[in-house]
Parts: sequence; structure tokens; C-alpha cells
Amino acid sequence: MRRLVGMPILFALALCACVTINVYFPAAEAREAAREFVEKVIGDEAQPSQPAPEAAPPGDGGMALLQRLRFDPLVLLGIGSAHAQSQPDISIRTPAIQAIQSRMESRFNSTLRPHFDSGALGFGGDGTIVVRDASKLAIKDRVAVNAAVADDNRDRKAVYREIAVANGHPEWESQIRDVFAKQWIASARSGWWYQQGGAWKQK
Amino acid sequence: MPGRILTLLLLALVACPGQARTATAGIARIQAVGVELRDVKVQLRWPAGAEQGELHIAAARIEAGVAGYRFRNVDWRCPVSRRPQGAWHCEGPLRADGAPPMRLALDLSAVTTDALLSSGEARASLHRNAAAPDSTELELTRVPIAWAQALLAQAWEAGRITGGRASGPVVVEMPAGRPLHAEARLAIDALSLESTDGAIAIGDLDARLHVDFRQPTGAGALVAVDGSLRGGELLYGNTYVALGGAPVRLGLDAMQRVGGGWDVPRLAWDDGDVLSIEGAGALAGDGSVQAFDVTARSRDAVQLPERYLSGWLGLAGLAGLGLDGAFELAARIDGGALSAVDATVNALTITDPRQRFRIDRLAGTLRHATGAAVDSELRWQGGALYELAFGPVRLPMRSEAGTLRLREAAELSMLGGQVRLDGFSLRPPDADGGLRIGFGLELDALDIGALAQALGWPAFRGTLSGRIPSARYADERLDFDGGLSMQVFDGRVDVDALSMERPFGVAPTLSADLALHDLDLLGFTEVFDFGSITGRLHGRVGGLRLVDWTATAFDAGFHTQPRPGVRQRISQRAVQDISSVGDASFVTSLQGRLIGLFDDFGYRRIGIACRLENEVCRMSGLHSAGAGFTIVEGAGVPKLQVVGFNRDVDWPTLLERLAAVASGDVAPVVD
Repeated sequence: MRRLVGMPILFALALCACVTINVYFPAAEAREAAREFVEKVIGDEAQPSQPAPEAAPPGDGGMALLQRLRFDPLVLLGIGSAHAQSQPDISIRTPAIQAIQSRMESRFNSTLRPHFDSGALGFGGDGTIVVRDASKLAIKDRVAVNAAVADDNRDRKAVYREIAVANGHPEWESQIRDVFAKQWIASARSGWWYQQGGAWKQK
Repeated sequence: MPGRILTLLLLALVACPGQARTATAGIARIQAVGVELRDVKVQLRWPAGAEQGELHIAAARIEAGVAGYRFRNVDWRCPVSRRPQGAWHCEGPLRADGAPPMRLALDLSAVTTDALLSSGEARASLHRNAAAPDSTELELTRVPIAWAQALLAQAWEAGRITGGRASGPVVVEMPAGRPLHAEARLAIDALSLESTDGAIAIGDLDARLHVDFRQPTGAGALVAVDGSLRGGELLYGNTYVALGGAPVRLGLDAMQRVGGGWDVPRLAWDDGDVLSIEGAGALAGDGSVQAFDVTARSRDAVQLPERYLSGWLGLAGLAGLGLDGAFELAARIDGGALSAVDATVNALTITDPRQRFRIDRLAGTLRHATGAAVDSELRWQGGALYELAFGPVRLPMRSEAGTLRLREAAELSMLGGQVRLDGFSLRPPDADGGLRIGFGLELDALDIGALAQALGWPAFRGTLSGRIPSARYADERLDFDGGLSMQVFDGRVDVDALSMERPFGVAPTLSADLALHDLDLLGFTEVFDFGSITGRLHGRVGGLRLVDWTATAFDAGFHTQPRPGVRQRISQRAVQDISSVGDASFVTSLQGRLIGLFDDFGYRRIGIACRLENEVCRMSGLHSAGAGFTIVEGAGVPKLQVVGFNRDVDWPTLLERLAAVASGDVAPVVD
């Protein structure tokens, strides 16, 4: 009997030993980040929702000097104080990601867009671009488009990875890819094709 | 036989010239030389005393079974007239469902039949002679190759001819009880065709071809093609061939298998010095390669990437790759996968247009097989990895069980030191996964000055040594076990936990932990043109992450440690520069305006730290000082103290200003 009295305590201890701390994937923030990214790449028709909160513009030195009334050599050099960024939302503003984004944007406009319009290309279910119907392309274009699709898919893979890593959670890569995969389809223009459950559908 | 019926009809009518006659014949089925006509109606009207009559032939269906042609509702009307020696001539419009309007002219005599079919600029004439009843001669003049669509569909169901014209003689022999045999010598102009899935295509190709075609009954067709190709483009999966102006000689024998697919006992492709290929193998019904033994030779590879490799290079992110030199390559494909490669390379220089790598004068052999062990050896005379040049190397290799290994360690000179590569193994992509590479690396006394110069860094001096017992590349990730050690500034920097992602891909990433031990601060500040500080520097850069060779994250801290016999002095200029980096203010005993009166100051400790995250550098120093943090703690008189106040500093701006300070663009300002 006495031994049994101790059991709940042991049980509780065992429970405590099993507790792990989960960092939950910020799905809503990831969706917003993906939407902003994808709309920028796909471009013109839809407007990105909100201008991003910006890091300090470098030119606010003089004012800061007056306000603080304190010698501040950094201000003379033009370095303002940066706004601290709040932590756990999904940031896509690292230079690497932005460089890839602008490259994807120009590739989309220069090469890929007309082939989405024609139905030659479609969005895969895994966040990549897939050549859906090569016969809609001239033979020479087929090679260039295949290469552009391969380049773009490499960029996409790097973006999903870098967003996860830049936000301190490399393990989020596949979740970020899934969020992006849905967003590419959601942002697809009317008439474009996408893959769902292995089958092609037209938006 | 249709010719004979027609002749009989004509003779019967003309035998009674006195009055107008109309003869009509309805024939359910006519079969002759591989062609079958059904529901044929022949009507001939010949007005009394007229020089000519009118012929009308209609057939509900015409099928040429062997050639795969089917026509419906064929209708031909023409005025018919007599010619000398009992011959007849008739020429008029020919129509059939789904076919373009055409004209058919027919000349019949007791011995010969001549027909001329024309449509626009296209003309196809046919000649038959009763003395050789099994043989039909055709002469084509700019005939649309699309007319051969049905013939092509017999051999390759997914093939669609979309353009091109052919001229030249064709002889078709259909002896009773023996295989159909057709022979053609064709000049082809602007041929375009493609498969329904777009994977195989020909565009705008000019060719002169001798084609021999046999179709035994109950067996697959035999095709032999010999000739030359000029201009145009070919696509086969990811292989894209852009033919130039010079003709390419082509030879091909193919036998259709009964169950579908083709055996190809001979394939020859001769594009002069650029590429010649000989091979034999088998294709599946969908045109994919099942098995092939192929030998390819290039005596001058300069044009090879543009004319033959662009499809593959584009996919691999190597578009524009430069090749110069010669090679010979034998490869075997089994079950759709590469099973053996035997390459001999002669002074081949490989250049990446984006300057990621270059290999000069690669030579030797490379053999790889999935089966038994084979040895080979490659050498190169030099090259470069990004901006870093390296020297000649010898790579003795053995391939066994699908893995390529170095038989002995390879050494090459780089940056004035030696790099030793051992235990190298490479497994090409296969069903089990992508490319995997493993190797050990030993660096001996690499010159950091040369490294810094190549990478455009400040003029560091020192040496880099170290041993990485094992490095692995898989899934676009390069991981290093062990560490490197840099002997710099009379001290040591240890590099650990080194790894790279996408080393040659998009935004290459490098991660590492650095530990700084006892560096000579004077040398360090001189290199950065950062005033001058004497003393010894220690510190760490943890979790360093470079993306595209730009720092995106780290947790760094540096501090001085006194060492007996080393003075700890800091120059006025260095105080200004440190202040600008740390956003600092001078406090305590020394006013800002007094600083200009002294050249240098003694200090007790210097410490500065930065944690970079999200483009913001969170700064700290030796310890907190009111609202700020102390960066320099002075010693002696005048006693100096430098305190930073801005803890969060915008990183790109900081970098810009650091660069400006280092290049002397910003003069220190003393208030």
C-alpha cells in the first residue's frame, strides 16, 4: 500500500522526463511570406499587400544627433541604429533570398511567363515548375525552357532551404516548401495549369 | 487491274462511234498491288462524234494496307481522249475527304500506265509497265513529306510530320509472295516532325538520303538509311543537336521487332572533327534507348557544347561551358541505364563561363563500370576553383562495383602550398540516390596572402594548414570532419564544423566555427588600415554562415589578453575607427575634443562582440556601462574609455562604412 502511494509521483516524474519543447511552425506567417514572395516573382497583376517593415534607412544621422544630443561618431559615419526585428515570424529579407527572388522574377518575365500562358509549363505539387506539354514549344525553345525550368527549380530549392535556415529552423524546409507549393498555385493566373494529386488541372 | 478495267470500258465505248453512249460499272471491291478499293463506281460518257468523253470514278474507300493509307469518298472527274497507238489520256481534279485538292493525270496504253498527281507545287508521277507488273516507279518533286504520315505511323505511332518536302525517285516492288521493297533517293527540304509528347523532334532539316525499306509479311520492317544531313535541329529527350552548315553523314540500319521497338545494328554519325559516333543497340516502342553500345570521338571539341551538349549543360546549370581539345568515349547502356564508360581524353580544357572552375589540358583515361574492376588515370596541367588557381595533378583511379576511387593519394600545388587528396570515392547518380563523393583532404602551408588576393580580401598574411580526415558530398551538401588551422598574425585561427551547401549551385553556403588564438593585433590593424593597436587578440566566430560568400549570421566576440613583454597601446586613429564601428562615445577622464592632443594611449582591455542575425548586428563589449557597453578600457594617464551605445546596428551599412574607414575614405572626426 505504501509503495502504491508513491506511484503517482513516479508517474508524474516520468511524464516530466518525456516533456519536449516544440517550436511550432508559424504557418500563417509563412503563408504571408510566401504570398509576398510569389506575387513579387509572378508580378504585375496582383499587388503585394503591405510594404515590408524596413530596416533603418542609413540617412537619418543628422536628426539622430540632434535628438540624442550626444557625440556619436557612428552617426557621423552615417550609421543609424537598426530597428530590432521581432523574432518568430518568417523573414524572407536576407540578401541571398532577395537576390534569388529578383533573379526568379526576371527569369519569370523574360522566359517562363508566356509558356505558362500557353500551357507548356505548369506548377508541380511540390513547389517546382514542370514542363507539362513540350509540344507547345518550338524545338529550340524547348531546350532553353528546360534549362530555365531547371535553373528555376534549383533557385526554388535554395529559397525554401534558405528561408528555413535564415529563420533558425532548417527542419522547417519541407513545411516551407509545402506552403510555397500551395502559394504558387493560389497565385497562378487564370488559365495556367497546376498539378494536384498527380493530375493536371487548369485554373 | 483497275487500269485494265478502265481500258476495257474505254474500248467497248469507242468501238461504237456512231452514237452517244454512257457506260456505268459498279464494282464492290477491287484489289491490286497492295491497294484495295471498295464501292467503286465508274461512269464514262462519250457524246456521239465527239473527240473526247468524260470519265467519273468514285470510290467510297481506298486503302493501301501495307503503307497504312486510308481515303474516303474519293472522286475523280476528267475529260478522256484518245492518243495514238491505242493510248488514252485523262486529266482532272481529284478529291477525297480530308485531303487537299489535287489533280490527277492518267495515261493508259496497252503496256504502260503513267499517272501524275499534283497539288500546288508538289508533283508525284507514277509509272508502271505491264512487262514488270511487280514494280512501280514514282518520281517525286517537292512532295509534302506529310503525305508519308501514314507510312511513318506504321513504324512509329507517336511520330507526327509537321513540314518538309521531298524530291527524287522511289521504286516500290511488290512481288507476289515476297516482301514489299521500296527504295528511294530523296532530297529532303526543311523536314519537321515530332513525337506527340514533344520529347523527340526534328526541325527544319535538309537531307539527301538513300532509303531502303523492306516489309516482310508477318515480320517487322527493315530500314536502311544512308546520306547526309545539313542545317536544322534535332531533339531527343534532353539531347539537342543544332546542325551547322557542313553536312553530317548519317548511316542507320533498323529492324522492327514484332512485339514493338527497334533493333539498331548500325548507327553511324559523322560530323567531321566535331563529333563522330558509331553504335548499335535497341530502342523501346516509345523511342527510348533500351541498350546501346556507342563510341563517340571528337577531334576538336570547341563546337561540341553548342552543337550537341547544350540541352544537358543547361539542365546541369553549366550552359555556355567551354571545351577545347579532343576525346574518345565508349559507353554502354543496359536496361536504360549507363553501365560502362571508357573515355580517353587528350589535352581537353574545360572552362565554366561563370568562372566557378577551370581545368587546363585534362588528359588520360577514365573508365567506369558497374561490374568488374577497371583502372584508369587522369591528369591535368592546372586549373582554378573560383579564383584560386591550382597546379598539375595525377589521378590514378579504379572503378569497382559502381564506385570510382583514387588508387593512391593525389597531390597538387595550390596557393604556394600543397593540397593532398586521399581516399577519394565517387558514386554516380543511380537508383539508390544522387551523386555521392567522399574524400580526405590535407592542406600544407597554403599562402593566405595569395588566398586573400584571389578573393579580394584585405592583404592578410600567413599560412593555412590542416587535415580533414573525411569530407562527404551528397544531396548538394559538403560536410567536413576535422578542422583546418590558419597560422596568421603570429597566432592561430582554428576552423571547425566546416560545411557547404550547394557548393557549385545557387547561393553557395559555407558554415564554420572559428577560434582566434593569440593574434598579433598590430599586424591585424595594419592589414585593415585601422589605425594601430599593439597587443594580442583572442576570440571566436561561432555559427558563421556565409551565403553567396557574404556573412549572414555569426556570433562573434574578440578581446585582448595581456602577454608579458607586449605593450598595450592604441593609436588616436584606431580609437576613432573603433568608435565608428561600435557607435561609441568617449567618457570618463577624457573629453572627445582632447583626444586630438595625443597620438596614442595605453589600454587595459579591449573587447567587442557582434551577434549577426536578420541583417542586424547586436553589439556588446567588455561589460555594461550605464546605457552602453565598454569597448576600450584605458590604463594610465590620460585614461581613455570608449563606450558604445547603439546595441543594434544595421549590418550592410556597417559593412559599407567599415570598408570606407579601411580605404581611408572617411576621415576620423574629432569633436
